[in-house]
Amino acid sequence: MAVSEDMVVLHNVRHLNLDSRSQESSSSAPTMLKHHPYSHYTMEIFDFPHLKTKAYLMLFSKVTNAAALKSRIVAASTAEGEVGEQEREAVNFAFIDARLITSKLHLETAIYQAILAECQDGLRTRTVHSEILYYLNPTHNITEAIRRYGVSGENNDIFVVRVGSLELAPTVESKMKAVVTGTIVPEAELQHITDWPSIKKYHKLNGEIAIKEAGQDSQKEHAIVDKIVISSVAMKSVVQ
Amino acid sequence: MSVKSPSQSLLESLTLISQGAEAKVYKGRLEANDGPVLLKYRFKKHYRHAALDTSLTKSRVAGEARALLKCLRSGVNVPGVRMVDASEGLLGIEWIDGKSVKSLLPSGAVEEYDEDQELPDDVDDEGEHPLSRFEISSDTLMDLIGVEIAKMHLADVIHGDLTTSNMMLRYPVANAPTELVLIDFGLSYHSTLIEDKAVDLYVLERAFASTHPDSEPMFASVLSAYAAQLGKDWPALRRRLDDVRLRGRKRSMVG
Repeated sequence: MAVSEDMVVLHNVRHLNLDSRSQESSSSAPTMLKHHPYSHYTMEIFDFPHLKTKAYLMLFSKVTNAAALKSRIVAASTAEGEVGEQEREAVNFAFIDARLITSKLHLETAIYQAILAECQDGLRTRTVHSEILYYLNPTHNITEAIRRYGVSGENNDIFVVRVGSLELAPTVESKMKAVVTGTIVPEAELQHITDWPSIKKYHKLNGEIAIKEAGQDSQKEHAIVDKIVISSVAMKSVVQ
Repeated sequence: MSVKSPSQSLLESLTLISQGAEAKVYKGRLEANDGPVLLKYRFKKHYRHAALDTSLTKSRVAGEARALLKCLRSGVNVPGVRMVDASEGLLGIEWIDGKSVKSLLPSGAVEEYDEDQELPDDVDDEGEHPLSRFEISSDTLMDLIGVEIAKMHLADVIHGDLTTSNMMLRYPVANAPTELVLIDFGLSYHSTLIEDKAVDLYVLERAFASTHPDSEPMFASVLSAYAAQLGKDWPALRRRLDDVRLRGRKRSMVG
């Protein structure tokens, strides 16, 4: 992926050089960059060698089609025939509300456990992608997991995840971009997105001693919450 | 199963750190570009019936993970959980970059042939005081131990195997105080009983006495920090600890 991205950049540079000969185009180039401040960020790839698979990940911000996306996913799940197959493939991703993700490791842990469950024929939901949502949610209620962690009309920041082999690599990014309308931002942007009060509420952390101990130190509190939710996700399969 | 399971293939990629009767401990990676994790593998015990072995292994992995989460929620310093595959007997936890307390305190034995160790105690080649890297004194270390155990007991978690090798000091990181981390919750259980907490402390007292010569003053400062953290329950616990010292870990079944 890095190679093709470099090629795009190189292509743009050459484009600029050519354009600089004509006055009007050279002035338009910086404006274009302004519109897409993060256009050079591509997706992240998790490589799980022992699960013999990878997970592709992109964070979209300022998403404008969340509600339509949700209807499309719902419709695709029941659509029949070849059109149905195509639609299911088009939305064959996990769409995750980024506000409820504390860190990259949090999401990575849910993806790992979901793939592990799939390998062991232990999926509790229909696909490995919905299984990620299931693992993120602290309860065993699948509908709740999808309502809370999936897309709804209210999402502006969405993680899009695709579990699959290396062969997906060349096409998965454009498929993600085709289905979500928004700005691709680096994963580090997550620190401005995470909704800590909601996470604490869903994980019932407000009364816990560890949280009280952190007091007013929000940085410390976030580190503790992050550690607890990662552990909760990792051990979900053995929670009664 | 003819095809190797993911956890089996993971195990083959790992570096063995330590082996005990119940489990092997490895260092490895779950994701290719991530930092290391510690993996505790409860291997198959062929001396047990297969069905019993599977269910025991499963419940012990689950129990250990639950104890860790309970401790985390209660503000006890323990490693975070990273992955669980209970049916394979595998538990992945956060890698703690530090040293076992056992290796930091003076021991009477010769360092090289330490059999009963949980984690490798790399010998300090510089010859400096082992605690100097942690920027704390021996007294502070004892305080940290007492406070951490008291927090754990306040959460009604009994460790079950408190020794100085089941505690680690994390190397200090930028502007954070040195942390004492309790590890190995393989024998832990939930209990509100003063008896169980007293026995937990007694086990540690014996461990101090047998691993570290002239450690009475050290253990005394562990207890005073423990007492301060525990608060109102301390007088009853102290009395019970005296009882346990007289009779030993096991309760007398006579009469």
